[in-house]
Amino acid sequence: MKKQNVVVGVVAVALALVAAACGNASTAGAPKADTGPLTVWLMNGSAPDPVISALKTEFEAAHPGVTVNVQLQQWGGITDKTNAALSTQSPPDVLEMGNTLVSGFASAGGLADLTGKQASLGSDTWLQSLKEAGTLDGKLYGVPYYAGDRVVIYNKDLFAKAGITAPPTTRDELMTDGKLLMAANKSVPGFSALYLPGKDWYAIFSWVFDSLGGIATKSGSKWQGTMEDPATQAALSWVKDMRSAVGTAAGDGLETTDDPTFEAGKAAMVIEAGWHYGVIAKDKPALKDQLGVFPIPGASQAAPVFLGGSNLGIAAKSKHQGLAYDYIKLLAGSKYQTQLAVQGGVIPNTTTLLNLHASDPVLSVADKAAARSWFVPNSPNWAAVESNNILQDMLAKIFTGKASVADATKAADQALADKLNQ
Amino acid sequence: MQHVTSAAPATALTAPAGRRSPLFRRRRRATVVPWYVPYLMLAPGAIALGAAVVFPFAYLVAISFQQFRARELIQDLPTVWVGLANYRYIVAKPEFWTVLSRTLIFAGVNVALTIGIGMGLALLLQRLGGRMRLALSISMVLAWSIPPVSATQIWQWLFDRDFGVVNWVLTSVGLRGFTQHSWLSDPTSLLGLATVIVVWGALPFVALVLYAGLSQVPDDLYEAARVDGANAWATFRQVSLPLIAPIVLVLALLSTIWDFRVFTQIFVLQKSGGISEDTNLIGIWSYHQSFGGSPNYGRGAATAFIGVVILLMITAVVVRRMVRIGDES
Repeated sequence: MKKQNVVVGVVAVALALVAAACGNASTAGAPKADTGPLTVWLMNGSAPDPVISALKTEFEAAHPGVTVNVQLQQWGGITDKTNAALSTQSPPDVLEMGNTLVSGFASAGGLADLTGKQASLGSDTWLQSLKEAGTLDGKLYGVPYYAGDRVVIYNKDLFAKAGITAPPTTRDELMTDGKLLMAANKSVPGFSALYLPGKDWYAIFSWVFDSLGGIATKSGSKWQGTMEDPATQAALSWVKDMRSAVGTAAGDGLETTDDPTFEAGKAAMVIEAGWHYGVIAKDKPALKDQLGVFPIPGASQAAPVFLGGSNLGIAAKSKHQGLAYDYIKLLAGSKYQTQLAVQGGVIPNTTTLLNLHASDPVLSVADKAAARSWFVPNSPNWAAVESNNILQDMLAKIFTGKASVADATKAADQALADKLNQ
Repeated sequence: MQHVTSAAPATALTAPAGRRSPLFRRRRRATVVPWYVPYLMLAPGAIALGAAVVFPFAYLVAISFQQFRARELIQDLPTVWVGLANYRYIVAKPEFWTVLSRTLIFAGVNVALTIGIGMGLALLLQRLGGRMRLALSISMVLAWSIPPVSATQIWQWLFDRDFGVVNWVLTSVGLRGFTQHSWLSDPTSLLGLATVIVVWGALPFVALVLYAGLSQVPDDLYEAARVDGANAWATFRQVSLPLIAPIVLVLALLSTIWDFRVFTQIFVLQKSGGISEDTNLIGIWSYHQSFGGSPNYGRGAATAFIGVVILLMITAVVVRRMVRIGDES
């Protein structure tokens, strides 16, 4: 009896010690006026190092005594990591977030409301799509950082050999040219005029949005998938026919195989972000002078492109809100946006800087294509749709012939409703 | 006979304890050790175990009865106890039952193959000459040392539809049907490839441990069997197998636990092709519940706890047999 009490006592003391240790850790970052340090999470590969160093120097000069601590994050597993970080008492002050993730973090209460400051950050000329991605229920949580979109990268040599003089501007021309390319390259095993892996939904949904289809709509507080809409179904059927007529990419494949296939001479066209142009030219210098780009052709004009990119936010629990705001104002302002666009090759966050790439053969096309763009449904639960591969599964089922368009879209609509309304 | 064997693996464990306890008693008689000293000595281990195992598990069980999402985590909101709501949500999902039965079949096939082929390799090791045995052991340890993510990626490249060496070899020998054959688009094929990778990854450990067990079987027993006229199969069934049965059971137990919660191999393959919803196993499904985009830790914890209960039910059978073997000897 007495022994048991002592055992309980020992355990209690042990637990108290553990608890005390935790308590100490969580109160360590108590408010220290506004001398920082300012912790900034940026994504790996987003901004060139010289731009970030220059910004750090300028910021620290303007805020004596404040140290900027930039931590580069990897994209893999970033959602979990950010959720965990936002829940701590000393979260990163400034965060770069993929634009499809902002509404999730915002709805969980992890981000500071920046609506009152948007005018001073230059919201009048922001790219509309990026601004919407950073907005939830009419409030701004993510300041547009930069954007990126997809273009068709093509092999001019193969086009010329197939007797094609100009790149296609409509999807009918794409089909016609594709068939010419297939005929001209019969001897190449596994050749694709357009190499389009079936799960590349960011590329494929351009034709869905071009046909005025969509992913999901909200009526009242309920989300409803729109895969079964006749417009969406018709577009998917067209893509299915086009894919099998002008290519041999796997119906369940991902776009990760685009570059090697193109470089191996087994594809005349791939749909990729503009920077892949540079990757291909570097991997295979022989192709360098053969490369060209054009916007994804739609029914009568360039199809809307998915506008990917990033937004910048301030953690709700940040103890350096003012400093964080100053940092974002600089990074999202025209000086550093210009550097990002010129050195990093991204689409800047404002329409006023879209002329920066006028002389660049790739980026000028990408910038122009961004004028017509589409975005994912602005639901805090969107990330669940992506992580459960709902749209990718639907496309893979259609393109591998595992299900009809009708059955696959029906299943997808059910899954969309299930995930978006959870 | 039974006696000899179970003593072999057990000696290492029992010997030091057996030696220590009389010493301890003697010292206790000489200088009176306060009664709480043993508890104090136990405390470091107990605290470490409590912090690393007991607390997280109790916490997991607790959250499985709460509504706990990113919102509660980030804003430090008090979590609401919701009783069995998370469990009800999960068992009401038809996909849970599909995923669960798929996982049970997958784990069963993988355990059987792992133990079966592992035993074959162990017997091979026993019969090989010294140099070949060393070569085989080293290559197995090397294969074992590759992290599952890298190993799966390499296997995926081997089986790649367009650039994979497997399709290249098959078409080169005249099997034209394998031109651009996708090994991932069919769910059975994807899970089959995952099985190959999982079994391949588990074999080195299983084979080496079984070989270690086999090497403890005294030679005179084999000799006696030979004198009695037993053939190889009879010797294996009646001499080797009964002696290493406890080891086989432990390996089967571990394999069941590992293969039931397989994650990496499936996750990586799904990133290369296939249809996710038709190839999800319970580990992946549970991950999506807890962390998939919009996290719901309560539901994830409930899924994990259901998994623990199912594993307990399966392994209880094995553990009971192990206990019985222990009692007999």
